[in-house]
Amino acid sequence: MGDEQAAKQIIDKNIMIELSNNFPNVVSDVDVPSPNRAVARIDSSQVKEIMQFLLDKGFDHLSCISGVDYPPDKMEVVYHVTSYSGPLVITLKASIPRDDPNIDSLCDIYWNANWYERETYELYGIIFNDCPYLKVLLLPEDMEGEWPLRKDYAGYPNPT
Amino acid sequence: MGEIEMELPSNVALTTTSAIHDFIKGSPLQKLVNWGRKNSLWFMVHPMGCCGIEQICVGVAHYDTDRFGIIPRASPRQADVMMISGYVSKKYLPALKRVWDQMVEPKWILMMGECAISGGPWWESYSTVINMDEIFPVDIYIPGCPPRPEALLQGFIELQKKIEAQQDRTVIPNPADEGV
Repeated sequence: MGDEQAAKQIIDKNIMIELSNNFPNVVSDVDVPSPNRAVARIDSSQVKEIMQFLLDKGFDHLSCISGVDYPPDKMEVVYHVTSYSGPLVITLKASIPRDDPNIDSLCDIYWNANWYERETYELYGIIFNDCPYLKVLLLPEDMEGEWPLRKDYAGYPNPT
Repeated sequence: MGEIEMELPSNVALTTTSAIHDFIKGSPLQKLVNWGRKNSLWFMVHPMGCCGIEQICVGVAHYDTDRFGIIPRASPRQADVMMISGYVSKKYLPALKRVWDQMVEPKWILMMGECAISGGPWWESYSTVINMDEIFPVDIYIPGCPPRPEALLQGFIELQKKIEAQQDRTVIPNPADEGV
């Protein structure tokens, strides 16, 4: 293991402490269940600042963006951020209201966020503000607006 | 998206029959034609899901489908048989219909695998078409997940039997015959 990588792992260990110190009222419920995983809840209004902070610290790979539906009043956007040099994967969960699901787009910070956000949009109807091209990605265009992965979606042909 | 509709000029009439066609249809010569058709079932290489692996496998030398006259073709315009060998999503269905329309008559469809027949594991999916047999005139269903290459060959042989017995679904009903 080179010096650089060893230093990287030390950064990984302290990143969650740094994160909660820098964003005291925004990051909550920090948990580090294993050396490779860390989980935290974040406030949806400051997601861009948090991601920029992580990118500056070397977390240069946004692994995925996903949505979760918690009827009747809550939805969640889940971000997985990691780096190409260290082992730590950070999971960040941002809660948003279900009747007005919107959150800031990360396309300015991670260029690959575009397709992730479009897929989350087409399946859950979560609006990503300032996303440069918020259209359906894989679904047929006439299914836009059905939001098939929401819990109350009734368009399944054969519900069991 | 959607199908491309072509409008024909008003002076062009599409026919599905002709005098020679009608003459052959009513004569014993039709059996000779069917014998030729059943022994030259060229199929379109059009793998759509994991069943496509088995479909390609059937086309290679090990199974030697040439002995039945079954030859893989790369273009729908040269093929007689289309195998629907996987799940068809709502987005893909217009493209599949277009490929089917590009094939020249006579043409047949084999349904290969559970996904094509009923949706299979995607029976409850929001985006899978599960009533394929109502959309296409299917002749042979080959169940399996995926079916073995031998099962696919068996399906071809059953199709040959159907063609020989003139029970396949490719025959277009002649509107002139219905009044008789």
